[in-house]
Amino acid sequence: MERSGEGVRKPVIMGLFDEQVEEVGRFLACMRDRGDLRELEARGERWPSGSSLLLAEDTAMELGNPSVASLSFVVWGDPARVRDGVVSLVGPDIAEVRSDSVPFAQVLIVSGEFTDEYESYRDLREAIYDTLLDGFTVRTMPSRQSVWCRVSREAMDKGFSLGDLGAAMTRNLKAVEPVSGAEALFVTSSTVDVEKLAPAASGARRIVEALMKMYEEENFDCETCEYKDVCDEVMDLKKIREKLADEKARAGP
Amino acid sequence: MILAVCGKGGVGKTTISAVAAATLRGRDGVRGLMVDGDPAGGLGMALSLEAPKSLNDVRKEVIGEVKAGERSERDLAVSMDYLLAEALAENGNLAFLSIGRPEDVGCYCRVNSFLKAAIEGLAGGFDMTVIDAEAGIEQVNRKVMATVDYVLLVSDTSAKGVRVAETIKQVADTMVEGGDAGLVLNRVRDESEVESIRRSTSLEVIGWIPEDDTIRGFDENETSFFELPECPARVAIVEVLEDTGLL
Repeated sequence: MERSGEGVRKPVIMGLFDEQVEEVGRFLACMRDRGDLRELEARGERWPSGSSLLLAEDTAMELGNPSVASLSFVVWGDPARVRDGVVSLVGPDIAEVRSDSVPFAQVLIVSGEFTDEYESYRDLREAIYDTLLDGFTVRTMPSRQSVWCRVSREAMDKGFSLGDLGAAMTRNLKAVEPVSGAEALFVTSSTVDVEKLAPAASGARRIVEALMKMYEEENFDCETCEYKDVCDEVMDLKKIREKLADEKARAGP
Repeated sequence: MILAVCGKGGVGKTTISAVAAATLRGRDGVRGLMVDGDPAGGLGMALSLEAPKSLNDVRKEVIGEVKAGERSERDLAVSMDYLLAEALAENGNLAFLSIGRPEDVGCYCRVNSFLKAAIEGLAGGFDMTVIDAEAGIEQVNRKVMATVDYVLLVSDTSAKGVRVAETIKQVADTMVEGGDAGLVLNRVRDESEVESIRRSTSLEVIGWIPEDDTIRGFDENETSFFELPECPARVAIVEVLEDTGLL
């Protein structure tokens, strides 16, 4: 991000998560080639919001239980690469699952003009946390990048689909001010498929951690920073660092 | 309704909590959260339930998250919800949470207050929460939740047991909304013992439970209280809890 002569912030050139968006793109292409990728239709009416605690006896099935693979992350990318409103699925949808527990990956990709990367990232996460649907319980462990969901018997009987979840998530993400487009990908097929997304997830996590550290610690000593390797690779992180260091220098001691 | 069962060690708090659990289990439309405040896991043993991890394990993990650099309050809050869910053992309409053994991992007031808020949030999803407190109400206040709706004081017929209950009540007055508390006398051999204690204490005696070999047998054999048949003690416990509107 840069400042113009009048001191007005210009939008950052996107690219912070370009590598992760590329990786997800390659995953999608691979799944498409395999014939395992489909887009879920958005249903006519919205699934009702609601918060409920589901006990095992009320649960029809679980996604991403701690005993199976689970991944969840959000990144932003070039608008040309984000298919706004699209919800993709690799594997069975809720009604097609033949067991009571499946591995789960949830990937959300948004586009927009993010003038404050730190606040934007936090807002995106809040939007995801605030996506609460009736008959669906989701628990999130940010440090493990995992989610653990339960679908109630009642919701299953009423036809709850991952399309409903994706629609609610993309809608909530688009309510975040700078977001112009949002796309969701879910994987329920296998642990192997979920783990194919692990490099993208861990890459995104390192970038976010580096970003958080820059903003929260305001320590710009690269030689002692554990995220030096990330900043060396991701040009936008380096730019953010330079911008923050410059702002700090201007503000004085 | 959040009920804390408190009293001197060995007076029968766990028996009452376990009978409450056995009574709640299977009740249509009712969900119960049972919290075992005994580091030795007495309630878990009485119900043959083993929590996958304890509240102290959760606390340690959250402290680990903070040390690893997790600063966002919302991220910490959602992490606690996740870890608490992982710590629950479920049996039908009941969920079971164990406090576990306390470990000295330093003072993390922020974590403790977040954790209490998370437990309160969790309890909010249940119709009834029963906390089998290790001893006094301080433990509940410090580690489980800031307030409870009712403190069920338990004592045997010994003067010491009743004095401990009175002390707990004094402390409880500062944290129990409405100050609701009542004394249940356990292992009563003769009703005259109850009358004698009524005259000697300022506490409201809300009921009494007779000495019962069936309970003793279940304790000795570590049989799950979910299997407890109708017996004089069980009948008396359920009567006390229902009469006071606790169950």
